[in-house]
Amino acid sequence: MASINSADGQLGEIAAPSGARSARRRDRHFRPTIFLNVVSVMGFLALWMAATELGWVSPIFLPSPAAVAAEGHKLIVTGDLWEAVIASSKRVFAGFALAGVIAVPLGILMGVWWPAKAIMDPFVSLLRPLPSITWIPLTMLWLGIGESQKVMIVFLGSWIYILLYTLESTKRVDPLLIRAARNLGANDLSVMKEVILPGALPGILAGLKVTLAISWSCVLSAEMIAAQTGLGALIWFAKDWGNLPLVLLGMVCISITVLLADLAANWIERALQPWERHRRAA
Amino acid sequence: MRTVLTAENVTKVFAVGKGKTVMAVKNLSLDVREGEFLCLLGASGCGKSTMINMFAGFTHPTSGRVLLHGKPITAIEPRCGMVFQSYALFPWKTVRANVEFGLKMQGKPAAERSRIADGFIKMVKLQGFEDHYPAELSGGMQQRVTLARILAANPEVLLMDEPFAALDAMTRQVMQEELLQIHETSKKTTVFITHNIDEALTLADRIVVLSARPGCVKAEIENRLPRPRTIATQLTSEYIASKTKVWGYVEEEIQKHDEADRELTA
Repeated sequence: MASINSADGQLGEIAAPSGARSARRRDRHFRPTIFLNVVSVMGFLALWMAATELGWVSPIFLPSPAAVAAEGHKLIVTGDLWEAVIASSKRVFAGFALAGVIAVPLGILMGVWWPAKAIMDPFVSLLRPLPSITWIPLTMLWLGIGESQKVMIVFLGSWIYILLYTLESTKRVDPLLIRAARNLGANDLSVMKEVILPGALPGILAGLKVTLAISWSCVLSAEMIAAQTGLGALIWFAKDWGNLPLVLLGMVCISITVLLADLAANWIERALQPWERHRRAA
Repeated sequence: MRTVLTAENVTKVFAVGKGKTVMAVKNLSLDVREGEFLCLLGASGCGKSTMINMFAGFTHPTSGRVLLHGKPITAIEPRCGMVFQSYALFPWKTVRANVEFGLKMQGKPAAERSRIADGFIKMVKLQGFEDHYPAELSGGMQQRVTLARILAANPEVLLMDEPFAALDAMTRQVMQEELLQIHETSKKTTVFITHNIDEALTLADRIVVLSARPGCVKAEIENRLPRPRTIATQLTSEYIASKTKVWGYVEEEIQKHDEADRELTA
Protein backbone atom coordinates (compact mmCIF):
# COMPACT_ATOMS: atom_id res chain seq x y z
CA MET A 1 0.00 0.00 0.00
CA ALA A 2 1.52 3.35 -0.94
CA SER A 3 2.52 5.42 2.05
CA ILE A 4 0.73 8.68 2.53
CA ASN A 5 3.91 10.71 2.11
CA SER A 6 4.94 9.21 -1.17
CA ALA A 7 1.51 9.81 -2.63
CA ASP A 8 1.68 13.46 -1.68
CA GLY A 9 5.14 14.07 -3.12
CA GLN A 10 4.65 12.03 -6.26
CA LEU A 11 1.25 12.90 -7.57
CA GLY A 12 0.99 16.28 -5.89
CA GLU A 13 3.31 17.57 -8.56
CA ILE A 14 1.15 16.33 -11.41
CA ALA A 15 -1.92 18.12 -10.06
CA ALA A 16 -2.23 21.72 -11.23
CA PRO A 17 -0.11 23.84 -8.87
CA SER A 18 -1.33 27.07 -7.35
CA GLY A 19 0.68 30.19 -8.05
CA ALA A 20 2.61 30.14 -4.80
CA ARG A 21 3.57 26.49 -5.21
CA SER A 22 4.83 26.70 -8.75
CA ALA A 23 6.75 29.82 -7.83
CA ARG A 24 8.45 27.94 -5.03
CA ARG A 25 9.22 25.04 -7.34
CA ARG A 26 10.95 27.41 -9.72
CA ASP A 27 13.19 28.46 -6.86
CA ARG A 28 14.50 24.95 -6.33
CA HIS A 29 16.96 23.20 -8.56
CA PHE A 30 15.10 21.18 -11.15
CA ARG A 31 14.53 17.69 -9.88
CA PRO A 32 13.39 15.04 -12.35
CA THR A 33 11.29 13.34 -9.69
CA ILE A 34 8.41 12.28 -11.90
CA PHE A 35 10.81 11.03 -14.48
CA LEU A 36 12.44 8.78 -11.90
CA ASN A 37 9.05 7.65 -10.61
CA VAL A 38 8.02 6.58 -14.08
CA VAL A 39 11.34 5.03 -15.00
CA SER A 40 11.36 3.04 -11.78
CA VAL A 41 7.90 1.60 -12.46
CA MET A 42 8.73 0.91 -16.10
CA GLY A 43 11.92 -0.81 -15.02
CA PHE A 44 10.09 -2.99 -12.57
CA LEU A 45 7.47 -3.94 -15.16
CA ALA A 46 10.18 -4.77 -17.64
CA LEU A 47 11.94 -6.95 -15.09
CA TRP A 48 8.69 -8.69 -14.23
CA MET A 49 7.87 -9.31 -17.86
CA ALA A 50 11.35 -10.64 -18.54
CA ALA A 51 11.21 -12.94 -15.52
CA THR A 52 8.00 -14.58 -16.64
CA GLU A 53 8.40 -14.52 -20.41
CA LEU A 54 11.95 -15.78 -20.28
CA GLY A 55 11.03 -18.48 -17.83
CA TRP A 56 13.18 -17.40 -14.89
CA VAL A 57 10.10 -17.93 -12.75
CA SER A 58 7.39 -20.47 -13.39
CA PRO A 59 3.98 -18.96 -14.26
CA ILE A 60 2.52 -21.06 -11.47
CA PHE A 61 4.23 -18.82 -8.96
CA LEU A 62 4.14 -15.51 -10.76
CA PRO A 63 1.92 -14.73 -13.72
CA SER A 64 3.21 -12.37 -16.37
CA PRO A 65 2.05 -8.77 -16.49
CA ALA A 66 0.33 -9.61 -19.75
CA ALA A 67 -1.80 -12.26 -18.04
CA VAL A 68 -2.77 -9.85 -15.29
CA ALA A 69 -3.65 -7.20 -17.83
CA ALA A 70 -5.74 -9.71 -19.76
CA GLU A 71 -7.72 -10.58 -16.64
CA GLY A 72 -8.11 -6.90 -16.01
CA HIS A 73 -9.46 -6.32 -19.46
CA LYS A 74 -11.93 -9.17 -19.07
CA LEU A 75 -13.30 -7.81 -15.82
CA ILE A 76 -13.44 -4.23 -16.96
CA VAL A 77 -15.46 -5.24 -19.99
CA THR A 78 -17.98 -7.18 -17.93
CA GLY A 79 -18.11 -4.37 -15.36
CA ASP A 80 -17.19 -6.81 -12.59
CA LEU A 81 -14.05 -4.95 -11.57
CA TRP A 82 -15.86 -1.70 -11.11
CA GLU A 83 -18.60 -3.46 -9.12
CA ALA A 84 -16.01 -4.95 -6.80
CA VAL A 85 -14.36 -1.59 -6.24
CA ILE A 86 -17.70 0.06 -5.54
CA ALA A 87 -18.82 -2.70 -3.19
CA SER A 88 -15.67 -2.46 -1.07
CA SER A 89 -15.59 1.33 -1.16
CA LYS A 90 -19.16 1.63 0.04
CA ARG A 91 -18.44 -0.52 3.06
CA VAL A 92 -15.25 1.32 3.91
CA PHE A 93 -16.73 4.75 3.72
CA ALA A 94 -19.83 3.79 5.66
CA GLY A 95 -17.81 2.23 8.47
CA PHE A 96 -15.20 4.99 8.40
CA ALA A 97 -17.79 7.78 8.41
CA LEU A 98 -19.61 6.16 11.31
CA ALA A 99 -16.37 5.79 13.22
CA GLY A 100 -15.48 9.44 12.53
CA VAL A 101 -18.84 10.81 13.53
CA ILE A 102 -18.66 9.00 16.86
CA ALA A 103 -14.95 9.10 17.66
CA VAL A 104 -14.10 12.72 16.79
CA PRO A 105 -16.62 14.39 19.13
CA LEU A 106 -15.88 11.78 21.78
CA GLY A 107 -12.15 12.42 21.48
CA ILE A 108 -12.62 16.16 21.79
CA LEU A 109 -14.86 15.69 24.82
CA MET A 110 -12.30 13.43 26.46
CA GLY A 111 -9.60 15.96 25.67
CA VAL A 112 -11.29 18.87 27.41
CA TRP A 113 -13.33 17.17 30.16
CA TRP A 114 -11.44 14.80 32.41
CA PRO A 115 -14.42 12.79 33.70
CA ALA A 116 -15.18 11.67 30.15
CA LYS A 117 -11.59 10.54 29.74
CA ALA A 118 -11.59 8.75 33.08
CA ILE A 119 -14.75 6.87 32.13
CA MET A 120 -13.57 5.89 28.64
CA ASP A 121 -9.91 5.11 29.32
CA PRO A 122 -10.36 1.53 30.59
CA PHE A 123 -12.48 0.57 27.59
CA VAL A 124 -10.06 2.13 25.16
CA SER A 125 -7.18 0.22 26.71
CA LEU A 126 -9.09 -3.06 26.61
CA LEU A 127 -10.46 -2.69 23.11
CA ARG A 128 -7.44 -1.26 21.39
CA PRO A 129 -5.37 -4.44 21.00
CA LEU A 130 -8.20 -6.34 19.34
CA PRO A 131 -7.70 -6.48 15.56
CA SER A 132 -10.84 -6.25 13.50
CA ILE A 133 -10.62 -9.91 12.53
CA THR A 134 -11.29 -10.97 16.11
CA TRP A 135 -14.62 -9.22 15.89
CA ILE A 136 -15.80 -11.34 12.98
CA PRO A 137 -17.48 -14.15 14.98
CA LEU A 138 -19.46 -11.75 17.18
CA THR A 139 -20.52 -9.51 14.33
CA MET A 140 -21.60 -12.50 12.30
CA LEU A 141 -23.74 -13.64 15.18
CA TRP A 142 -25.29 -10.21 15.69
CA LEU A 143 -25.62 -9.06 12.07
CA GLY A 144 -25.31 -12.07 9.84
CA ILE A 145 -23.06 -11.87 6.81
CA GLY A 146 -24.64 -8.93 5.01
CA GLU A 147 -23.48 -5.40 4.41
CA SER A 148 -24.07 -4.19 7.95
CA GLN A 149 -21.70 -6.80 9.33
CA LYS A 150 -18.90 -5.59 7.05
CA VAL A 151 -19.58 -1.98 7.97
CA MET A 152 -19.51 -2.96 11.63
CA ILE A 153 -16.11 -4.61 11.20
CA VAL A 154 -14.73 -1.49 9.57
CA PHE A 155 -16.20 0.61 12.37
CA LEU A 156 -14.79 -1.57 15.13
CA GLY A 157 -11.35 -1.62 13.57
CA SER A 158 -11.21 2.14 13.00
CA TRP A 159 -12.96 4.08 15.70
CA ILE A 160 -10.33 3.71 18.40
CA TYR A 161 -7.54 5.08 16.23
CA ILE A 162 -9.58 8.11 15.28
CA LEU A 163 -10.38 8.55 18.97
CA LEU A 164 -6.76 8.40 20.06
CA TYR A 165 -5.50 10.82 17.40
CA THR A 166 -8.33 13.23 18.17
CA LEU A 167 -7.73 13.04 21.91
CA GLU A 168 -4.04 13.69 21.52
CA SER A 169 -4.50 16.62 19.14
CA THR A 170 -7.08 18.20 21.40
CA LYS A 171 -4.80 17.99 24.41
CA ARG A 172 -1.92 19.46 22.44
CA VAL A 173 -3.60 22.72 21.56
CA ASP A 174 -1.25 25.41 22.85
CA PRO A 175 -2.58 26.48 26.26
CA LEU A 176 -1.14 29.94 25.65
CA LEU A 177 -3.61 30.40 22.79
CA ILE A 178 -6.45 29.42 25.07
CA ARG A 179 -5.20 31.96 27.60
CA ALA A 180 -4.94 34.64 24.94
CA ALA A 181 -8.48 33.91 23.77
CA ARG A 182 -9.87 34.16 27.29
CA ASN A 183 -7.91 37.35 27.86
CA LEU A 184 -9.67 38.76 24.79
CA GLY A 185 -13.04 37.93 26.30
CA ALA A 186 -13.81 34.45 25.00
CA ASN A 187 -16.17 32.25 27.02
CA ASP A 188 -15.96 28.45 27.11
CA LEU A 189 -18.01 27.95 23.97
CA SER A 190 -15.96 30.45 22.01
CA VAL A 191 -12.73 28.89 23.20
CA MET A 192 -13.96 25.53 21.89
CA LYS A 193 -15.14 26.93 18.57
CA GLU A 194 -12.37 29.44 17.87
CA VAL A 195 -9.32 27.82 19.40
CA ILE A 196 -9.63 24.16 20.30
CA LEU A 197 -11.38 22.90 17.18
CA PRO A 198 -9.17 24.67 14.64
CA GLY A 199 -6.11 23.96 16.78
CA ALA A 200 -6.83 20.24 16.93
CA LEU A 201 -7.91 20.01 13.31
CA PRO A 202 -4.52 19.23 11.72
CA GLY A 203 -3.98 16.32 14.11
CA ILE A 204 -7.53 15.07 13.67
CA LEU A 205 -7.19 15.09 9.88
CA ALA A 206 -3.86 13.32 10.06
CA GLY A 207 -5.48 10.66 12.25
CA LEU A 208 -8.35 10.31 9.79
CA LYS A 209 -5.96 9.80 6.89
CA VAL A 210 -4.04 7.09 8.71
CA THR A 211 -7.24 5.40 9.84
CA LEU A 212 -8.62 5.37 6.31
CA ALA A 213 -5.85 3.00 5.32
CA ILE A 214 -6.62 0.87 8.37
CA SER A 215 -10.30 0.83 7.42
CA TRP A 216 -9.39 -0.59 4.04
CA SER A 217 -7.46 -3.44 5.54
CA CYS A 218 -10.43 -4.17 7.83
CA VAL A 219 -12.87 -4.43 4.96
CA LEU A 220 -10.58 -6.68 2.99
CA SER A 221 -10.20 -9.20 5.76
CA ALA A 222 -13.95 -9.12 6.42
CA GLU A 223 -14.61 -9.73 2.73
CA MET A 224 -12.18 -12.58 2.48
CA ILE A 225 -13.92 -14.40 5.27
CA ALA A 226 -17.56 -13.91 4.36
CA ALA A 227 -18.49 -11.93 1.29
CA GLN A 228 -19.68 -12.41 -2.25
CA THR A 229 -18.67 -9.03 -3.58
CA GLY A 230 -15.81 -6.63 -3.18
CA LEU A 231 -12.09 -6.68 -3.84
CA GLY A 232 -11.29 -8.90 -0.88
CA ALA A 233 -13.87 -11.44 -2.01
CA LEU A 234 -12.47 -11.20 -5.53
CA ILE A 235 -9.03 -12.18 -4.36
CA TRP A 236 -10.34 -15.00 -2.22
CA PHE A 237 -12.47 -16.52 -4.97
CA ALA A 238 -9.60 -16.12 -7.39
CA LYS A 239 -7.47 -18.16 -5.00
CA ASP A 240 -10.13 -20.86 -4.83
CA TRP A 241 -10.27 -21.05 -8.62
CA GLY A 242 -6.49 -21.11 -8.88
CA ASN A 243 -6.64 -17.90 -10.92
CA LEU A 244 -3.39 -16.26 -9.88
CA PRO A 245 -3.51 -13.40 -12.42
CA LEU A 246 -6.86 -12.45 -10.94
CA VAL A 247 -5.36 -12.45 -7.44
CA LEU A 248 -2.64 -10.08 -8.59
CA LEU A 249 -5.16 -7.94 -10.39
CA GLY A 250 -7.16 -7.67 -7.20
CA MET A 251 -4.10 -6.58 -5.28
CA VAL A 252 -3.18 -3.98 -7.86
CA CYS A 253 -6.72 -2.64 -7.78
CA ILE A 254 -6.67 -2.39 -4.02
CA SER A 255 -3.43 -0.42 -4.15
CA ILE A 256 -4.76 1.99 -6.74
CA THR A 257 -8.07 2.50 -5.00
CA VAL A 258 -6.49 3.25 -1.65
CA LEU A 259 -3.96 5.53 -3.33
CA LEU A 260 -6.76 7.51 -4.92
CA ALA A 261 -8.58 7.66 -1.59
CA ASP A 262 -5.35 8.99 -0.04
CA LEU A 263 -5.12 11.67 -2.71
CA ALA A 264 -8.69 12.73 -2.16
CA ALA A 265 -7.99 12.88 1.58
CA ASN A 266 -4.91 15.05 0.99
CA TRP A 267 -6.93 17.36 -1.19
CA ILE A 268 -9.62 17.71 1.46
CA GLU A 269 -6.97 18.32 4.11
CA ARG A 270 -5.47 21.14 2.06
CA ALA A 271 -8.87 22.71 1.47
CA LEU A 272 -9.71 22.66 5.17
CA GLN A 273 -6.44 24.19 6.31
CA PRO A 274 -5.72 27.27 4.21
CA TRP A 275 -3.31 28.54 6.86
CA GLU A 276 -0.93 25.66 6.15
CA ARG A 277 -0.49 26.84 2.59
CA HIS A 278 3.03 28.13 3.17
CA ARG A 279 4.14 24.58 3.91
CA ARG A 280 2.91 23.09 0.67
CA ALA A 281 6.06 23.56 -1.35
CA ALA A 282 7.86 20.45 -0.14
CA MET B 1 -4.16 60.68 39.73
CA ARG B 2 -6.49 57.73 40.09
CA THR B 3 -5.08 54.32 40.87
CA VAL B 4 -6.21 51.68 38.42
CA LEU B 5 -4.34 48.55 39.45
CA THR B 6 -3.13 47.68 42.91
CA ALA B 7 -1.03 44.90 44.29
CA GLU B 8 -1.59 44.72 48.05
CA ASN B 9 1.11 42.85 49.93
CA VAL B 10 1.15 40.05 47.39
CA THR B 11 2.99 36.82 48.00
CA LYS B 12 3.06 34.00 45.46
CA VAL B 13 4.40 30.54 46.08
CA PHE B 14 4.64 27.93 43.33
CA ALA B 15 4.85 24.21 43.85
CA VAL B 16 7.55 22.79 41.60
CA GLY B 17 7.14 19.10 42.08
CA LYS B 18 8.61 16.67 44.62
CA GLY B 19 7.30 18.81 47.46
CA LYS B 20 9.55 21.75 46.61
CA THR B 21 8.23 25.25 46.41
CA VAL B 22 9.45 28.48 44.92
CA MET B 23 8.46 31.84 46.36
CA ALA B 24 8.34 34.05 43.31
CA VAL B 25 7.04 37.18 44.95
CA LYS B 26 7.00 38.26 48.61
CA ASN B 27 5.01 41.12 50.13
CA LEU B 28 4.98 43.04 46.91
CA SER B 29 2.89 46.22 46.98
CA LEU B 30 2.44 48.34 43.91
CA ASP B 31 0.09 50.98 42.52
CA VAL B 32 -0.48 51.62 38.85
CA ARG B 33 -1.86 55.08 38.10
CA GLU B 34 -4.34 55.89 35.37
CA GLY B 35 -2.74 56.77 32.05
CA GLU B 36 0.81 56.11 33.10
CA PHE B 37 3.39 53.97 31.35
CA LEU B 38 4.90 51.85 34.09
CA CYS B 39 7.93 49.64 33.56
CA LEU B 40 8.63 46.70 35.81
CA LEU B 41 12.35 46.20 35.67
CA GLY B 42 14.31 43.34 37.09
CA ALA B 43 16.56 40.40 36.41
CA SER B 44 15.28 36.95 35.52
CA GLY B 45 13.34 35.21 38.22
CA CYS B 46 12.39 38.37 40.10
CA GLY B 47 8.70 37.71 39.71
CA LYS B 48 7.77 40.35 37.15
CA SER B 49 5.98 37.89 34.85
CA THR B 50 4.21 36.43 37.87
CA MET B 51 2.95 39.88 38.83
CA ILE B 52 1.67 40.66 35.37
CA ASN B 53 -0.01 37.27 35.16
CA MET B 54 -1.79 38.08 38.39
CA PHE B 55 -2.96 41.40 37.00
CA ALA B 56 -4.36 39.53 34.00
CA GLY B 57 -6.03 36.99 36.23
CA PHE B 58 -4.08 34.02 34.85
CA THR B 59 -2.85 33.18 38.31
CA HIS B 60 -3.78 34.29 41.82
CA PRO B 61 -1.81 35.44 44.86
CA THR B 62 -1.07 32.93 47.59
CA SER B 63 -1.64 35.76 50.03
CA GLY B 64 -2.42 39.41 49.54
CA ARG B 65 -4.69 40.85 46.85
CA VAL B 66 -4.59 42.23 43.36
CA LEU B 67 -7.22 44.87 42.66
CA LEU B 68 -8.64 46.47 39.55
CA HIS B 69 -10.47 49.72 40.39
CA GLY B 70 -10.46 48.59 43.99
CA LYS B 71 -12.12 45.24 43.32
CA PRO B 72 -10.22 41.94 43.56
CA ILE B 73 -9.25 40.21 40.34
CA THR B 74 -10.64 36.69 40.63
CA ALA B 75 -10.78 35.37 37.08
CA ILE B 76 -9.16 36.07 33.72
CA GLU B 77 -9.72 39.76 33.22
CA PRO B 78 -10.33 41.03 29.69
CA ARG B 79 -10.11 44.59 30.98
CA CYS B 80 -6.39 43.97 31.45
CA GLY B 81 -5.34 43.01 27.95
CA MET B 82 -2.10 41.12 27.64
CA VAL B 83 0.53 41.26 24.93
CA PHE B 84 2.58 38.07 25.09
CA GLN B 85 6.27 37.69 24.42
CA SER B 86 5.59 34.82 22.03
CA TYR B 87 2.78 36.69 20.26
CA ALA B 88 0.06 34.02 20.80
CA LEU B 89 -1.50 34.75 17.44
CA PHE B 90 -4.09 32.25 16.21
CA PRO B 91 -2.26 30.54 13.33
CA TRP B 92 -5.47 29.51 11.60
CA LYS B 93 -6.84 33.03 11.44
CA THR B 94 -5.75 35.74 9.04
CA VAL B 95 -4.27 38.98 10.30
CA ARG B 96 -7.66 40.63 10.02
CA ALA B 97 -9.44 37.78 11.82
CA ASN B 98 -6.86 37.90 14.61
CA VAL B 99 -7.23 41.65 15.06
CA GLU B 100 -11.03 41.32 15.01
CA PHE B 101 -11.04 38.58 17.64
CA GLY B 102 -11.57 40.73 20.73
CA LEU B 103 -14.29 42.66 18.93
CA LYS B 104 -15.97 39.41 17.92
CA MET B 105 -15.99 38.27 21.54
CA GLN B 106 -17.57 41.59 22.46
CA GLY B 107 -20.41 40.82 20.06
CA LYS B 108 -19.76 43.61 17.58
CA PRO B 109 -21.34 43.12 14.12
CA ALA B 110 -19.13 42.15 11.21
CA ALA B 111 -19.11 45.47 9.36
CA GLU B 112 -18.13 47.42 12.45
CA ARG B 113 -15.48 44.86 13.38
CA SER B 114 -13.96 45.10 9.94
CA ARG B 115 -13.90 48.87 10.05
CA ILE B 116 -12.27 49.06 13.48
CA ALA B 117 -9.79 46.31 12.68
CA ASP B 118 -8.74 48.00 9.44
CA GLY B 119 -8.03 51.16 11.40
CA PHE B 120 -5.69 49.41 13.80
CA ILE B 121 -4.04 47.37 11.06
CA LYS B 122 -3.22 50.64 9.37
CA MET B 123 -1.99 52.09 12.65
CA VAL B 124 0.58 49.33 13.04
CA LYS B 125 1.55 49.77 9.40
CA LEU B 126 0.41 46.40 8.15
CA GLN B 127 -2.09 47.48 5.52
CA GLY B 128 -1.96 45.10 2.59
CA PHE B 129 -1.35 42.11 4.86
CA GLU B 130 -4.88 41.69 6.14
CA ASP B 131 -5.39 38.35 4.42
CA HIS B 132 -2.05 36.84 5.32
CA TYR B 133 -1.63 34.17 7.95
CA PRO B 134 0.73 34.73 10.89
CA ALA B 135 3.17 32.10 9.71
CA GLU B 136 3.74 34.17 6.57
CA LEU B 137 4.91 37.21 8.54
CA SER B 138 8.20 38.14 10.14
CA GLY B 139 8.59 38.34 13.93
CA GLY B 140 8.26 42.10 13.98
CA MET B 141 5.13 41.98 11.87
CA GLN B 142 3.61 39.31 14.10
CA GLN B 143 4.21 41.46 17.15
CA ARG B 144 2.48 44.35 15.40
CA VAL B 145 -0.52 42.11 14.78
CA THR B 146 -0.58 41.20 18.48
CA LEU B 147 -0.46 44.88 19.34
CA ALA B 148 -3.24 45.72 16.89
CA ARG B 149 -5.32 42.86 18.24
CA ILE B 150 -5.16 44.02 21.83
CA LEU B 151 -5.64 47.68 20.95
CA ALA B 152 -8.71 46.84 18.88
CA ALA B 153 -10.19 45.02 21.87
CA ASN B 154 -9.73 48.28 23.76
CA PRO B 155 -8.99 47.03 27.26
CA GLU B 156 -8.58 49.53 30.09
CA VAL B 157 -5.07 48.43 30.89
CA LEU B 158 -2.31 47.13 28.62
CA LEU B 159 -0.07 44.47 30.11
CA MET B 160 3.04 43.74 28.10
CA ASP B 161 5.33 40.88 29.03
CA GLU B 162 8.68 41.64 27.39
CA PRO B 163 6.91 41.95 24.04
CA PHE B 164 9.99 43.00 22.09
CA ALA B 165 12.45 40.54 23.61
CA ALA B 166 12.35 38.19 20.64
CA LEU B 167 12.97 40.92 18.07
CA ASP B 168 16.28 42.08 16.65
CA ALA B 169 17.66 45.37 17.97
CA MET B 170 16.61 47.51 15.02
CA THR B 171 13.03 46.23 14.91
CA ARG B 172 12.84 46.64 18.67
CA GLN B 173 13.86 50.28 18.31
CA VAL B 174 11.14 50.92 15.76
CA MET B 175 8.52 49.12 17.82
CA GLN B 176 9.43 51.14 20.92
CA GLU B 177 8.96 54.41 19.06
CA GLU B 178 5.64 53.24 17.65
CA LEU B 179 4.46 52.07 21.04
CA LEU B 180 5.33 55.48 22.49
CA GLN B 181 3.32 57.19 19.77
CA ILE B 182 0.37 54.92 20.45
CA HIS B 183 0.59 55.68 24.16
CA GLU B 184 0.80 59.36 23.41
CA THR B 185 -2.50 59.31 21.54
CA SER B 186 -4.40 56.71 23.55
CA LYS B 187 -3.08 57.54 27.05
CA LYS B 188 -3.90 53.97 28.01
CA THR B 189 -2.56 52.71 31.32
CA THR B 190 0.31 50.40 30.45
CA VAL B 191 2.38 47.98 32.53
CA PHE B 192 5.48 46.94 30.60
CA ILE B 193 7.91 44.27 31.72
CA THR B 194 11.52 44.40 30.69
CA HIS B 195 14.98 43.47 31.84
CA ASN B 196 16.51 46.11 29.60
CA ILE B 197 17.31 49.40 31.31
CA ASP B 198 17.50 51.34 28.05
CA GLU B 199 14.06 50.13 27.08
CA ALA B 200 12.68 51.17 30.46
CA LEU B 201 14.24 54.62 30.28
CA THR B 202 12.95 55.12 26.74
CA LEU B 203 9.38 54.05 27.36
CA ALA B 204 8.44 54.63 30.98
CA ASP B 205 6.89 57.43 32.97
CA ARG B 206 7.82 55.51 36.08
CA ILE B 207 10.19 52.62 36.65
CA VAL B 208 9.70 50.08 39.40
CA VAL B 209 12.81 48.03 40.08
CA LEU B 210 12.07 44.62 41.54
CA SER B 211 14.44 42.83 43.86
CA ALA B 212 15.88 39.40 43.26
CA ARG B 213 13.72 36.39 44.10
CA PRO B 214 11.51 36.51 46.09
CA GLY B 215 10.56 39.72 44.31
CA CYS B 216 9.40 42.84 46.04
CA VAL B 217 9.62 46.51 45.17
CA LYS B 218 13.18 47.71 45.58
CA ALA B 219 12.86 51.19 44.12
CA GLU B 220 10.34 53.41 42.35
CA ILE B 221 11.88 55.98 40.04
CA GLU B 222 10.06 58.75 38.24
CA ASN B 223 11.42 59.03 34.74
CA ARG B 224 11.64 62.72 33.95
CA LEU B 225 13.54 62.52 30.69
CA PRO B 226 11.95 64.85 28.15
CA ARG B 227 9.80 63.53 25.34
CA PRO B 228 10.01 62.68 22.50
CA ARG B 229 12.67 60.19 23.42
CA THR B 230 14.93 59.10 20.57
CA ILE B 231 18.42 57.76 20.12
CA ALA B 232 19.68 61.29 20.68
CA THR B 233 18.12 61.30 24.13
CA GLN B 234 20.33 58.36 25.07
CA LEU B 235 23.39 60.50 24.64
CA THR B 236 22.38 63.31 27.03
CA SER B 237 23.90 63.65 30.46
CA GLU B 238 20.47 63.44 32.04
CA TYR B 239 20.02 60.02 30.50
CA ILE B 240 23.38 58.82 31.71
CA ALA B 241 22.62 60.03 35.21
CA SER B 242 19.27 58.25 35.21
CA LYS B 243 20.75 55.08 33.84
CA THR B 244 23.52 55.11 36.42
CA LYS B 245 20.94 55.49 39.16
CA VAL B 246 18.77 52.67 37.89
CA TRP B 247 21.74 50.46 37.24
CA GLY B 248 22.86 51.01 40.82
CA TYR B 249 19.67 49.43 42.10
CA VAL B 250 19.63 46.64 39.55
CA GLU B 251 23.27 45.70 40.05
CA GLU B 252 22.76 45.01 43.74
CA GLU B 253 19.91 42.68 42.95
CA ILE B 254 21.81 40.86 40.24
CA GLN B 255 24.60 40.19 42.71
CA LYS B 256 22.12 38.84 45.23
CA HIS B 257 20.63 36.66 42.50
CA ASP B 258 24.08 35.29 41.64
CA GLU B 259 24.83 34.60 45.30
CA ALA B 260 21.58 32.74 45.68
CA ASP B 261 22.41 30.65 42.61
CA ARG B 262 25.87 29.89 43.92
CA GLU B 263 24.39 28.73 47.19
CA LEU B 264 22.07 26.41 45.37
CA THR B 265 24.80 24.84 43.30
CA ALA B 266 27.40 24.68 46.13
